[in-house]
Amino acid sequence: MQNDVESFESKLLYQEMDWDQFDLNPKVIAALKKADIKSVKEILNLSEADLQRLMKLSSADIQYLLKTISRTLRKNSMLTALQLYQDKHHLTSQHQKLSLGCSVLDNLLKGGIPLVGITELAGESSAGKTQISLQLCLCVQYPYKYGGLESGAVYICTEDVFPSKRLQQLIDQQHKLRADVPTEIIQKIKFGNSIFIEHAADLDTFHNCITKRISLLLTRGMARLVVVDSIAALFRCEFGVSDSVTKARYLQTFGAQLHSLSTRFRTPIMCINQVTDAVSESEAAQCNCSAVDSRVSPALGITWANQLLMRLMVSRVSQPEQSSGVALHHTGSVRTLRVVFAPHLPSSFCYYTVKLEGVKGINPLHDMASCFKNL
Amino acid sequence: MQRDVGSLPLAPALRARLVAAGFQTAQELLDTGPCGLSKEIGISKEEALEALQVVRQECHSDATQTAGAPGTSRKCTALELLEQEQAQGFIITFCSALDNILGGGVQLTKITEICGEPGVGKTQLCMQLAVDVQIPECFGGLAGEAVFIDTEGSFMVDRVVDVATACVQHCQLIAEAHQEEDHLKALETFSLESILSHIYYFRCRDYIELLAQVYLLPDFLSEHSKVRLVVIDGIAFPFRHDFEDLSLRTRLLNGLAQQLIIIANDHKAAVVLTNQMTTRIGQSQSTLVPALGESWGHAATVRLIFHWDNNQRLATLYKSPSQKESTIPYHITPHGFRDVQPPAVTQNPEGTELNPRKRPRREEEK
Repeated sequence: MQNDVESFESKLLYQEMDWDQFDLNPKVIAALKKADIKSVKEILNLSEADLQRLMKLSSADIQYLLKTISRTLRKNSMLTALQLYQDKHHLTSQHQKLSLGCSVLDNLLKGGIPLVGITELAGESSAGKTQISLQLCLCVQYPYKYGGLESGAVYICTEDVFPSKRLQQLIDQQHKLRADVPTEIIQKIKFGNSIFIEHAADLDTFHNCITKRISLLLTRGMARLVVVDSIAALFRCEFGVSDSVTKARYLQTFGAQLHSLSTRFRTPIMCINQVTDAVSESEAAQCNCSAVDSRVSPALGITWANQLLMRLMVSRVSQPEQSSGVALHHTGSVRTLRVVFAPHLPSSFCYYTVKLEGVKGINPLHDMASCFKNL
Repeated sequence: MQRDVGSLPLAPALRARLVAAGFQTAQELLDTGPCGLSKEIGISKEEALEALQVVRQECHSDATQTAGAPGTSRKCTALELLEQEQAQGFIITFCSALDNILGGGVQLTKITEICGEPGVGKTQLCMQLAVDVQIPECFGGLAGEAVFIDTEGSFMVDRVVDVATACVQHCQLIAEAHQEEDHLKALETFSLESILSHIYYFRCRDYIELLAQVYLLPDFLSEHSKVRLVVIDGIAFPFRHDFEDLSLRTRLLNGLAQQLIIIANDHKAAVVLTNQMTTRIGQSQSTLVPALGESWGHAATVRLIFHWDNNQRLATLYKSPSQKESTIPYHITPHGFRDVQPPAVTQNPEGTELNPRKRPRREEEK
């Protein structure tokens, strides 16, 4: 239903209009036709004075015209914050989030990944970025009740082949990871069937993929999550220092396209990003990730950062810190998931490990308790 | 009716013809009559009649305006302006250092632009202002309402709830400390729900929708006359992609700025915009500058730039007609936008160099 409204509005914007259906003075409609103005976009792209000149009308008429078409375009779009807050309907509510499949990680993110907006997950190689995204691809398929969106996922690989073996492993172990979900429900979901894998090794393929192929899947409701693994790989090799303007333009186009997909279909977009070593201190400060480990900053610079709703960073905890720290008792190496920025979250972090059955956060309180026990 | 023909709201072509035919004032047109006019400048009688109707309406409204309210004429002395401005009040930010450099807070009838990198706190300040504008008058607020136009989808209502709850609690503390009657009375209606229901939220997904929304704003503000704040978060996002034609962008942005100035003036509202930063590559080094180019720099009356210094958030007043350029630290707590300094700063000035840097992080990570 929502999609129908959507297509109607975009039609309104770009296609040729039948001006007669508008509530306008016949004189104005005749002038519109005579001036060869066809779409709402054309009108709004012109200034009042230009319109007066083109259509040979008085300023009062033009103002009325502008208001009328604006109203058609924006009809009852107003919400109060209270309505947003109380809205429990799962198609529009802001409370709806995509769970990460682990209560500790969900608590860090106050429920999970927001449905509208681009979320970035940055980190060094082997920090666990792909693990988290694979887990999201499974979580999205659960019923709403269990933090999912009852739909599939699109996974766009830009550098490596898709880790299908690991995915299979995760699917087999779901009942261990999601002890909160009854086994019948887990068994009913055919996890492997609704993960759509796309390979896009260069910019044009990627552009084609996000403009055409993915919107098709999303329109049909077959997926409600898009993972891009990784966005930086597309830009690593092709661009030298001198091409920075072209690179920025590509990043803006991609950002805008992903953003509009996310808004139109209320689908979270998860972009994995690589990190680069910060050359100077000021550079680290610019990327505002200097919080604890100032050595690295996410790739692609500020143009990309401007497109994001929130930025998460994962990193492995270095050895000495680990042995002295809280996380000694856990098998496997300990990593941190850090909120670098998000409009609704403070910058904070938590520890997690990657186990056979998936990614699990380490509960700080529980952990403290076990620490004391050992003492 | 000595009004000049050139100033009448007629179609430009018609105006040109009238001037060419030697008409100078509105009265001359009225004296000529529809028949004479149609003959004189070669238009149909219907058109002439319509034009005369417009002229008559204009003259009529002019007459009522000058007779009814002589004060609305454009002329006023600088002293009157100063008095008006002082009587208007400000929207406080809950960060006293920022209020100080702004000269009291965010000014009504002015456009304030906040520029900064992602994650530095632009949206946070916008949310804080949308709440603060509603503080009742007896607490030194404006008892206004807010319009929030969101182009990026970063308006998180849960966060507004945090900020609003903290603000209500703050007012309750004041009321408890002073025990004044009007305070307690004001608090009866000043609640989380009333705050949320007076933030009018519009989501615009591209620049066309934003333009359409701004065309509709004057009517909306006339209907909701208590609105004292219009936030556009952010102005840059819809204008920074899909624009091959940069001159179109500049023209649209200038038009938008002009409309916003009119809105701010006519409705005594503060307009707050957020803007992104971009890298300008110079000859020897690259610097971060606000996006949307040089000419956009003239749009806002007050320009604030938010940036990081190590782990400290800083706000720099970059452009202002009345205040000097200065930089202050601020931080963002679970309760919203706040001052950095606890009392420690005034008590031992030597400690200030070290303390403010560490303290905010610790509090945030709780």
